[in-house]
Amino acid sequence: MSGGGIARGRLAEERKSWRKNHPHGFVAKPDNASDGSLDLMVWKCIIPGKPGTDWEGGYFPLTLHFSEDYPSKPPKCKFPQGFFHPNVYPSGTVCLSILNEDYGWRPAITVKQILVGIQDLLDQPNPADPAQTDGYQLFVQDPVEYRRRVRQQAKLYPPTL
Amino acid sequence: MADSVEDLDSLFDYRRVKPITILDDDGDDEVKEVANDDEDWLLPPPKDSSESLKQLGEDSAIKELRLRKQELKALTRKESLFQSVESPKRESDSVHAALDSLAEQPSKPHHVRAKIVISIQDKDEVKQFRVYKDEKFERLFKRYADKVKLGIENLVFMFDGDKINPTATPDGLGMDDEDIIEVLVKKS
Repeated sequence: MSGGGIARGRLAEERKSWRKNHPHGFVAKPDNASDGSLDLMVWKCIIPGKPGTDWEGGYFPLTLHFSEDYPSKPPKCKFPQGFFHPNVYPSGTVCLSILNEDYGWRPAITVKQILVGIQDLLDQPNPADPAQTDGYQLFVQDPVEYRRRVRQQAKLYPPTL
Repeated sequence: MADSVEDLDSLFDYRRVKPITILDDDGDDEVKEVANDDEDWLLPPPKDSSESLKQLGEDSAIKELRLRKQELKALTRKESLFQSVESPKRESDSVHAALDSLAEQPSKPHHVRAKIVISIQDKDEVKQFRVYKDEKFERLFKRYADKVKLGIENLVFMFDGDKINPTATPDGLGMDDEDIIEVLVKKS
């Protein structure tokens, strides 16, 4: 319970600071629980594709799942299942060093840094750490087709206006 | 007068953090059970605070105003659903009624209407605006459009990823000081 208290306290702070300061086009908010209250442990986010890249124009939905051990442990970050990117598992889970508790994660990393880090990853995949076959093989073997697939996917996630 | 306004604010705030209050209630229950064995000094405090709270709520105009506020909120919600022509008038009527009921001695309405600073962020910068918490967003949107010299029909305002209905209010969306509204410029 004390661990959960720490996680929720930190998440309430994260939410507070996010509401007052966040990068343009990003969304990050606690999910609505079934009883209508806010579920601080699950956040629904939107990551905009970076302007000037093939990802531009896409507003990609990402869900952050925090555990009671947060911030000792990082949240699990998931795109929709089958998301096309070399470093996203078929389940949608993002594979990124700062999100790995044994590697780059530090408790001081903020939600904002996570989301900006994932936005960077979109256009800068890490071929040394592939998580899916499709995206990885096209990225290393057929850059033209890879870019076509990325632009096609961006069109699948238009802004929600 | 100023005192009662402050009281109103804190009452309102407590209401908004209800989930935590519920947790406190649970704690109180436990305390009460323990207190039955040792009622000398443990029992009075919870009883006392709940009583004084009750008195506060019943005796003053605060309770009435709070009820009005809830009513207003419900009205706002109804409005954004139906967009009827009549309800805005009704809303402003009950705003005045609520203000009048509090202002027993002559005091200007703008002392009572709480203000809030809202940040509007586009892709380049953040602009801040001071608005009434119970004021419809349409007025703020117009001010913003005038300032950036763009047609309001080309602007989309979002809060937490949802498009903002111009008839909604900062209060209705539960906004706090310096919360960010994102503005997108439609490509024409």
